[in-house]
Amino acid sequence: MSHSHSSRVQKHIGDPISEKPAVDQEFLEEIFNDIQSDFRFDHELNGCLNCGICTATCPAAHYYDFSPREMVQLLWTENLEGIYDAMQEKIWACAQCYTCAARCPFKNSPGGLIMLMRETAIKHGMESAKSVLRPFSRVMLKLISTGNQLAPDMITPDHFPDWGPNISKVDAPLKLLRKAIPMATLNTTATAWEVNLKTSIELYTIWEETGVLDQLETIDENLFDVIVDIMDEKREDLEDWEDEQEDENDE
Amino acid sequence: MADKHDGDERFTGHGAEWRDSNLSQEDAQVATAWVEQKIDRRSMLTNKDRVEDVRDIMWQLEKDGEIVVHRIKDEHNPVVVKTLFGWDKKIPTNQLWHHKSCGQCGNIPGYPTSLLWLMNEMGIEYLDETDQTSCTAWNYHGSGIGNMVSLAAVFLRNFHQAYMSAKAMGLPEGHFYPLVHCGTSFGNYKEVRGYLLHSAELREQVKNILGKLGRLVDGKLLIPEEIVHYSEWVHVMRGEIAKRQVVDTSKIRATIHPACHVYKMVPEDVVYDNDVLGGNRVAVSTGIMEALGTNVIDYSTWYDCCGFGFRHIISEREFTRSYAIDRKIKVAVEEANSDIMIGHDTGCITTLDKNQWIGKAVGKDYELPVMADCQFAALVCGADPFKIVQLHWHASPVEKLLAKLGIDWDEKKAGFEAYLKEVEAGNQENLYDPRKRITSGPGYKRIEQK
Amino acid sequence: MTKPILVVGGGPAGLAAAHSLSALGKKVVLVEKEDKLGGAPILSGYAKLVPSGEWAKDAIGGMVKRVEDSKMIDVRLSTTVSELSGDTGNFTAKLSSGDEVNAAATVMCTGFTHFDSVNKPEWGFGTHQDVVTTTQVEQMISSGKGVRCPSDDRKPKRVAILLCVGSRDRQIGREWCSKICCSVSANIAMEIREELPDCHVYIYYMDIRTFGLLETKYYWKSQEEFKVKYIKARIAEVTSNGEQLIVKGEDTLVKRPITIPFDMVVHAVGMDPNVDNRVLSESFDVDLEPHGFIDRADSYGVVGATSRDGVFVAGSATGPETIDDSIAQGKAAAMSALECIQATK
Repeated sequence: MSHSHSSRVQKHIGDPISEKPAVDQEFLEEIFNDIQSDFRFDHELNGCLNCGICTATCPAAHYYDFSPREMVQLLWTENLEGIYDAMQEKIWACAQCYTCAARCPFKNSPGGLIMLMRETAIKHGMESAKSVLRPFSRVMLKLISTGNQLAPDMITPDHFPDWGPNISKVDAPLKLLRKAIPMATLNTTATAWEVNLKTSIELYTIWEETGVLDQLETIDENLFDVIVDIMDEKREDLEDWEDEQEDENDE
Repeated sequence: MADKHDGDERFTGHGAEWRDSNLSQEDAQVATAWVEQKIDRRSMLTNKDRVEDVRDIMWQLEKDGEIVVHRIKDEHNPVVVKTLFGWDKKIPTNQLWHHKSCGQCGNIPGYPTSLLWLMNEMGIEYLDETDQTSCTAWNYHGSGIGNMVSLAAVFLRNFHQAYMSAKAMGLPEGHFYPLVHCGTSFGNYKEVRGYLLHSAELREQVKNILGKLGRLVDGKLLIPEEIVHYSEWVHVMRGEIAKRQVVDTSKIRATIHPACHVYKMVPEDVVYDNDVLGGNRVAVSTGIMEALGTNVIDYSTWYDCCGFGFRHIISEREFTRSYAIDRKIKVAVEEANSDIMIGHDTGCITTLDKNQWIGKAVGKDYELPVMADCQFAALVCGADPFKIVQLHWHASPVEKLLAKLGIDWDEKKAGFEAYLKEVEAGNQENLYDPRKRITSGPGYKRIEQK
Repeated sequence: MTKPILVVGGGPAGLAAAHSLSALGKKVVLVEKEDKLGGAPILSGYAKLVPSGEWAKDAIGGMVKRVEDSKMIDVRLSTTVSELSGDTGNFTAKLSSGDEVNAAATVMCTGFTHFDSVNKPEWGFGTHQDVVTTTQVEQMISSGKGVRCPSDDRKPKRVAILLCVGSRDRQIGREWCSKICCSVSANIAMEIREELPDCHVYIYYMDIRTFGLLETKYYWKSQEEFKVKYIKARIAEVTSNGEQLIVKGEDTLVKRPITIPFDMVVHAVGMDPNVDNRVLSESFDVDLEPHGFIDRADSYGVVGATSRDGVFVAGSATGPETIDDSIAQGKAAAMSALECIQATK
């Protein structure tokens, strides 16, 4: 599905008057190859004649120096330095609403291409990815260790001062309010719902098998270490329980 | 249209060469007939040679023996709806497996409880269990951590569990059909399904992983016949829901915020209904609000997103709240004079609800209550605004809406505070038998069926 | 040789084919499904044609009269062909009227269908009254009524024409260029400016394809003489704030998204394959090409050949086509029909 690297990447044409230090050409090519070798690339980029419908409908373009059309053009024209520059900041402006993809007459997916660029930024541990993701680490810790991305105890006035002084309009302890929710799975505070121990181990296995933990290690080593400790413990818990079951069955 | 253009108003723009074509009334009718032929409005697109329907690939793969399809059967009481291009989509209405949303459960718990309450009112059989994870797509779109293989494996793991879940109660596999609560999950799962059906390589990778987890059916991947969003269930049940309405809503002016990941992602799979907005816009939410008798009002930024942005709501908050206030809330209030904004997705409702308070700091105090379609439906069908609809978690001024509906906020709040004492004493109520929530692993006990 | 030639469709191509054959002394049966001849220019009430500038009623009307007056042409209105059997020299066409026609050859001039803008709901047609199509504007002009906003009959002060509605759009499976809409839109823009000199007209485009000599007559003229503004931007959505239409686009030169109010938005609708093409393909036993138009089997040898010997095709049945070219193709297909009858003698 993907094209061979050598046929795709041309000798790069840099900006002759740029004062920026040139990034090593091989590195630029490696980055582009990582983006375009994803099997989604040729689904998401079919051509572009600069009609601008993507930017017209882009929420991020209203507030940032960001244009999905520009991103598509950089990839389509294989502007390796431009791609690298965009990955320093611009790609993180995209709100991932995929309105661009729903509108493009070529059926490109600029939002999807942004994800390929973000994945590549993470793979190479780019500084932009690290700094952008620092505030996101709470979500990732929760997700990777429990299988839930968000939990009631993450939403406090300390973390969201702009959401107002009260998280609940009934003044009572969080634990009690959660207990009063008439769904037994939701009587939790540390996860959005009660996640079966076996389930979180299964999810963790998926993380291991799909290289997600490697991504995490590249971006945030401390977070990675914390998660590995938590999950090792959980695995032991499950193994203990399984042993108990066997014992019971033997009896 | 009445002809007001006789005499000097007559069109004379073309000078001497111009001649009246004198189209008769009938000729004019013939001339515009094609515009009015709306019987099969998207007829040209039902031709699948023109736009691909991935479900056709799915049926072929099943025929080739490569996958197993989790079918929607008669026992699921499916209702057939039309999608954007006039294709059919089956919406199961009974024996549903709730695929919960972490943002809803963590943040807007009245969202799922209202849905389950409506199902109880209608005697719908369902399962809400602990063996499920988030779809992980919020994290993926926000951070870039994750990849197509991980997303696909999570999708198929959760849907495999939905397929197997009934065995814990001694019922056959496939008994429960998954109903996806979150719009992000719904969009993500549909996109992932498309890639899975197109790419043999991806199927192979995911199959290896699911094999290790023991999550294959006869050694094959299990793919659901349809991916179904709860808002689609609400839409097809809207007549039944409206029958149970006890609160008059005819004075309510509602605006709808349609969710990007619900109707813009994989748009060919989205419900359009000729009876709702002329079939020109996504039918869910508007359909139920009209069935309940509210006045649904259009506004110029209807197509805009909410500003959630996945990572923006966490770390680019200035963007999120500016977008939510200036391009959605403000417009709905100033243009549509809206009493409530209704959504059908987790991120949007969080964004639009929570980000209004800060507007006061800059004089943008629009005070627009925000909630999900199913919460509004439960409320006007008589559900308790606190115990069931859980409106105390909403930051937007839902009190205002309740006053307009004739529901006494303070009285209900006092009732809820009394109930909290009962909960403290261990007497909490549940929408279903809590033992059912564990279907295997630690804590599982077989419940005998009646 | 006394068998007539069957011509199906009474639009520009069919009228030209029928006339040419009759002028050469051949009998023709002309079958038309509507109750009058003239095809889209007459049935849809077009105003002045591109590029002649003549009124459709005069130009195509003249062609209709010529056919109606001919003793060699047997016109069957409100009639369709339900089955065509036989071979070159001896076709039998069953008609919806119950009649049968024995014909030596068949020329299909079955035309196209205007793109139905409801298939592109985000551009507001069907939701907002003041979103109209180029066809409707043609009718406003040809009827003498003038260009008015349908919602309240006011004269628009700002009109946006959106190009490529139902053309060049993979989202809805219409990858083809409809060829004529750029020139037609420029023509309409000039007509609006002529009638309503205070009205500003903007054309939103991805490319302008006023091909060949149309470049001077439409593209340049509309700008230099009529001050029509061309903006390179494909519009994302058309909504309403309750008072005016709101159009969302990108100013691609300054790379910023823009939101612009308009009184009227005009969809330059493209040319779809005839909605009946699947039925036609079966009853005439001819192949369709991948977009759904009638397939041309041969470009150079036998002009207008279809996949079936003795059955020829002309005009917009084969793909988006101009009126002038449809007429030329009608004549060419008529000539091919004569050649093939000659060869089987």
